[in-house]
Amino acid sequence: MKVNAIGIPVLDQAKALAFYTEILGFIKKKDIPLEGGNRWLTVVSKEAQDGPEILLEPAPLHFEPSKVYQEALMKAGIPYTQFDVDDVDAEYDRLIKLGVEFSVKPTAMGTVKIAVFNDTCGNYIQILETL
Amino acid sequence: MKENQENVSFYESEIKRIRAICFSNDKQLETVIATKNFIDTNYEKELKLEFLSHIRFTSKYHLLRLFKRYYGITPKQYLIEKRIEKSKELLSKGVSVSETCISVGFESIGSFSTLFKTKTGKSPSEFQKEQLSRNKLTS
Repeated sequence: MKVNAIGIPVLDQAKALAFYTEILGFIKKKDIPLEGGNRWLTVVSKEAQDGPEILLEPAPLHFEPSKVYQEALMKAGIPYTQFDVDDVDAEYDRLIKLGVEFSVKPTAMGTVKIAVFNDTCGNYIQILETL
Repeated sequence: MKENQENVSFYESEIKRIRAICFSNDKQLETVIATKNFIDTNYEKELKLEFLSHIRFTSKYHLLRLFKRYYGITPKQYLIEKRIEKSKELLSKGVSVSETCISVGFESIGSFSTLFKTKTGKSPSEFQKEQLSRNKLTS
């Protein structure tokens, strides 16, 4: 077995695709139309295009518990997904300029530095640099 | 004051609480981070734990324990990960397997190839072939 996909629940797939590609810099990998306007939609890291895919899934729209869970995480400020970066401060500056909202500014935590931003699709996302 | 406290999310207060409990020893953190940074810039050299510990004036077992405590893996495991990561970069650029092996600090091609395959699922030459054909497609 291999790890190849992680799901991120999103409220609007088109909006999510725009944010994850245009703002964050991921690349669209798969886009398969399903019923009811839903898509099997994945993006990958530009630097590791054969690496794990992020599945931008419309779960909160179709499965109530997913919506409840997403809202509860948002309310508590908890990021359920994390991406590695080389330099948290640089990425923070870059994203702030693009209008991204951060709930946690770059913060050292043991041997890592973290920051948390709002993905505008219902989630907080954490970026992490290993010190 | 009260309003300020309400603005702090559960996650932020948990970060503060956990940091105070787990990461309050600045001296230990400084030691392991400096050791990791030393490995990052000297991964191609022969790095023995004893040597690493001398740099930070600690005993080798103490350093081993500390590193594992804060990074979750031993310095040796970290060094191997670093070398594999660097060898992937070199192979993708078209550097030969034997040259890559030496540049990242492995002593024999046999042990390098075996380790590379264990960690990445492909032999260095298979990996290189794939990467180079991929580069051709995208360029």
